[in-house]
Amino acid sequence: MCGPGGWVSRQGVHPQCKFSETSAAAAVEAAAAAAAARRQRLDSRRADGVESLRSRELESKPLKMADDLDFETGDAGASATFPMQCSALRKNGFVVLKGRPCKIVEMSTSKTGKHGHAKVHLVGIDIFTGKKYEDICPSTHNMDVPNIKRNDFQLIGIQDGYLSLLQDSGEVREDLRLPEGDLGKEIEQKYDCGEEILITVLSAMTEEAAVAIKAMAK
Amino acid sequence: MAAALGPPEVIAQLENAAKVLMQTLACSILTALLSEFSSSSKTSNIGLSMEFHGNCKRVFQEEDLRQIFVLTVEVLQEFSRRENLSAQMSSVFQRYLALANQVLSWNFLPPNLGRHYIAMFESSQNVLLKPTECWRETLLDSRVMELFFTVHRKIREDSDMAQDSLQCLAQLASLHGPIFPDEGSQVDYLAHFIEGLLNTINGIEIEDSEAVGISSIISNLITVFPRNVLTAIPNELFSSFVNCLTHLTCSFGRSAALEEVLDKDDMVYMEAYDKLLESWLTLVQDDKHFHKGFFTQHAVQVFNSYIQCHLAAPDGTRNLTANGVASREEEEISELQEDDRDQFSDQLASVGMLGRIAAEHCIPLLTSLLEERVTRLHGQLQRHQQQLLASPGSSTIDNKMLDDLYEDIHWLILVTGYLLADDTQGETPLIPPGIMEYSIKHSSEVDINTTLQILGSPGEKASSIPGYNRTDSVIRLLSAVLRVSEVESRAIRADLTHLLSPQMGKDIVWFLKRWAKTYLLVNEKLYDQISLPFSTAFGADTEGSQWIIGYLLQKVISNLSVWSSEQDLANDTVQLLVTLVERRERANLVIQCENWWNLAKQFASRSPPLNFLSSPVQRTLMKALVLGGFAHMDTETKQQYWTEVLQPLQQRFLRVINQENFQQMCQQEEVKQEITATLEALCGIAEATQIDNVAILFNFLMDFLTNCIGLMEVYKNTPETVNLIIEVFVEVAHKQICYLGESKAMNLYEACLTLLQVYSKNNLGRQRIDVTAEEEQYQDLLLIMELLTNLLSKEFIDFSDTDEVFRGHEPGQAANRPVSAADVVLYGVNLILPLMSQDLLKFPTLCNQYYKLITFICEIFPEKIPQLPEDLFKSLMYSLELGMTMSSEVCQLCLEALTPLAEQCAKAQETDSPLFLATRHFLKLVFDMLVLQKHNTEMTTAAGEAFYTLVCLHQAEYSELVETLLSSQQDPVIYQRLADAFNKLTASSTPPTLDRKQKVAFLKSLEEFMANVGGLLCVK
Repeated sequence: MCGPGGWVSRQGVHPQCKFSETSAAAAVEAAAAAAAARRQRLDSRRADGVESLRSRELESKPLKMADDLDFETGDAGASATFPMQCSALRKNGFVVLKGRPCKIVEMSTSKTGKHGHAKVHLVGIDIFTGKKYEDICPSTHNMDVPNIKRNDFQLIGIQDGYLSLLQDSGEVREDLRLPEGDLGKEIEQKYDCGEEILITVLSAMTEEAAVAIKAMAK
Repeated sequence: MAAALGPPEVIAQLENAAKVLMQTLACSILTALLSEFSSSSKTSNIGLSMEFHGNCKRVFQEEDLRQIFVLTVEVLQEFSRRENLSAQMSSVFQRYLALANQVLSWNFLPPNLGRHYIAMFESSQNVLLKPTECWRETLLDSRVMELFFTVHRKIREDSDMAQDSLQCLAQLASLHGPIFPDEGSQVDYLAHFIEGLLNTINGIEIEDSEAVGISSIISNLITVFPRNVLTAIPNELFSSFVNCLTHLTCSFGRSAALEEVLDKDDMVYMEAYDKLLESWLTLVQDDKHFHKGFFTQHAVQVFNSYIQCHLAAPDGTRNLTANGVASREEEEISELQEDDRDQFSDQLASVGMLGRIAAEHCIPLLTSLLEERVTRLHGQLQRHQQQLLASPGSSTIDNKMLDDLYEDIHWLILVTGYLLADDTQGETPLIPPGIMEYSIKHSSEVDINTTLQILGSPGEKASSIPGYNRTDSVIRLLSAVLRVSEVESRAIRADLTHLLSPQMGKDIVWFLKRWAKTYLLVNEKLYDQISLPFSTAFGADTEGSQWIIGYLLQKVISNLSVWSSEQDLANDTVQLLVTLVERRERANLVIQCENWWNLAKQFASRSPPLNFLSSPVQRTLMKALVLGGFAHMDTETKQQYWTEVLQPLQQRFLRVINQENFQQMCQQEEVKQEITATLEALCGIAEATQIDNVAILFNFLMDFLTNCIGLMEVYKNTPETVNLIIEVFVEVAHKQICYLGESKAMNLYEACLTLLQVYSKNNLGRQRIDVTAEEEQYQDLLLIMELLTNLLSKEFIDFSDTDEVFRGHEPGQAANRPVSAADVVLYGVNLILPLMSQDLLKFPTLCNQYYKLITFICEIFPEKIPQLPEDLFKSLMYSLELGMTMSSEVCQLCLEALTPLAEQCAKAQETDSPLFLATRHFLKLVFDMLVLQKHNTEMTTAAGEAFYTLVCLHQAEYSELVETLLSSQQDPVIYQRLADAFNKLTASSTPPTLDRKQKVAFLKSLEEFMANVGGLLCVK
């Protein structure tokens, strides 16, 4: 269950590279220049889908190890999920249903017979695909809860349906798809108008997606 | 068919057929007439004023309606004399019966319409029969009543017709009002009616379809006729009536139980049983009209039959079908299914009341039934344990026996709870007088020491204690429940939790809470006389009360650790804990228990099992722990207590957020959990606020609030955490603002303002997609509106005495006011208004909260409204206009907001400001609402005040509106009446000025105006 910490941990990997506002413009330029070179590498990765994830993990390894010296930093040893007693889950919280990270949209209890013990009925929506999952289990059972993270990145480009995002480290990542639907259109439109926007990226269990945008603070 | 008959027969038959046809036709016409006149919702749209409709109804009810009734009675008389009605005839019969029912259910308009007239005109549900005087001869004629009894006897097997005839009788049973010239005639009528009723139902087997109707008749008689009339009828007749009521109650109860077994959709007997039990409550509540003990035997019977229906065989008949076969089904029960104690609360309250009347019988009965079942439960669990030990893993245990016992105990505890104590909300619960008298009466025969021994040894069989029969029966009943509780606790210790019933666990703590509220540390000053056993066992400074508190605490701790997965049970448990500490006297004893300190420490350490509890339970637990801290302790102990309870919270929190790399690790799950737990605990602490602890709690919470704002920044992308942070502010404002003096309030305002600024910064231009595009997504908006409303509430409810409660804590320093409530709230409104949309107003909670907030603002800071940026101002005005078309609650809020706005305009004296122009528009809206639309009487005051202020402001426009309205009237009579009414309306306040006296005079005139012409312009 517990995925390797590669992707998810990127934010934690570069704690020292705080993105300061004065250097923002310079960083954007530099990053844009570097982006072209990277894009080539990334393109080849996209070709082999899952494979790309792995190579990315390898890439980040040395950094991670260096940081691991500080035992409280980053996600060292943090797992993708953790257990929680079913009864302690809450609506609008998160849970793993059928192996997928879900937001709990419905939570109800029932019992068999008046003197039976409580069972919890969960309905969750996959936070990435929007698919609905259900489960029912005794309320004393432990369920897996996904570790959920949200990070903001500045949008610096859109190419072939992929977003170019500037990370706090100054690096640019370009492996995140432009979301479908209204949010995607909104992002494109804002980008085309030259608005500076931040993209909120949600990550859980080795998957990521853009889920929100907001204007950059001036 | 006609061919076989001779000409005369054919003619006779044709005549007959023609007659039937005529009668049917006549009946249809009459029914239609009645329906047309009965209420404005049924009347046709013919473009006439409501006043006209009302007048028609009144004329109709005095003359035509009575004639229709007389005619109907004649037809029914004719039918009732005939033998062997053909199918055709009986269908005509049925139509007339329905017609009679319609007449008797008529909602009579009183002779003077008065101001509530449209409202009166409208209500048509469950109308009691209250005709005008001119119906006296018609309805008090005993032949009418007899006719309906006769008719019912004739057709009672036809369930459709029986419905109508019983409904007619139920209406006749509710006869009251000016129709009775004096009390004597009322007594005669009642006596006659009861005789008729008893003759009809005695000695017959009641049909299923009759049960509800008959119980309605009885319930109407008992509700409508005053006690002195009831007791004035011949004694024997009254006795037979009560006997009959007893008999019916028991029999309907049994039938209701059968219905439950058969799982019928239509629970007619249950409905009938409910009605009769309610009638009992009405009847015995006012018992000074009856001699003492009059109802005892009846109460015993009803009580016994209730118990019998709820116990399993052999003592009872639960789940037995009519032929004595037991049925048992394990059905899925969802959380939405109400608990029996709520679903059947009315029944239980009646049975509990009857149990008090017959305490001599009922209390010992419950005790012995419970004690016997405790013993059986104990034995049964032991057998299971042995079985498990002998062959571990064998899961084929038949739980039928256990479930039967659990269900028996469940009902016995519920009845005991309702019998021994009342469910009080807000009042001081008192020991019911019946119970107190019963205990006092027997106290001379009671051995106090044995009583205490029975109470103090829940682990032993009551009957094993020597002299157990010379104990106080009430205390012994309590100790029987403690024995159940003890068996449960022991089973848990023996690892048999999986065999126990969470429902029974819930019943036990529910009972203990109800009992403790009323009996534990009984305040002797509240009673004329107190039973010695009670005061010895549960009085102040007694070993008994100390022991019970220790026992209850033990129970709470055990439940919280064992039953964390059963949310309802955990919740009931923690409520019991709150009961134990919310009164200072009890809290003083609680904190002397070592267990209490252990609980506090354990909770502070956030370790299992207490951290498995659901968040509402954890909050309440925190609340209880804080409340306990305000018990009487010496300074050192108090210091130590807070060190155990509150300080760890602070230390842990600071340790987490002050870590150098907190920013990077804030999304780690352990960190998030720690933060969430802290925020939950803060909400719980705020909930514990009382006037005498607010000083300490506020200072404690304030430190956190500042840090929480920092968290807003850190967790800006984590809505669940952001919402929880705002919730902490909401709770603090909700519970504490009303006690805060100026300087403290200012601190809170400042904190709230910063919170809003951070929120705003992080949400500017934010758009999100969420898998749950529902109300919850806007939780943050809702919470912020709640926060602003709570801050504003200080303007209405303020208990602070310029930092009185803080005196000695800190010198006052309110000289310069850096932030005011207005600043915070307007800042918040600037934030909220652009985010609200018409779509969002479709969510009822958001909508209500939004209007509550804007009304508050208009009322408190009207001077700030004109200063709003233009687009915000416009959207606010548009919101108000929109709100006037919404639910009456929202509409009322909007009307209330208009008054201060108009007053503000008058004060400012600017005739070209946007607000001035807006109020002119509102004048027209309110004018139309009052004069042209069907009026809702609840709204008169709010609408009237707004109207008056607007009229003052725009006198010329008002005159114009009146002119326009008058000039459109073609009927000169109506024109004159309206013109007069408008003149009168403003006569007392010319020229209109914003003067309280004038305003009150205007409101009074407006009421008259509405009564006079309100129905004239509203057209249907």
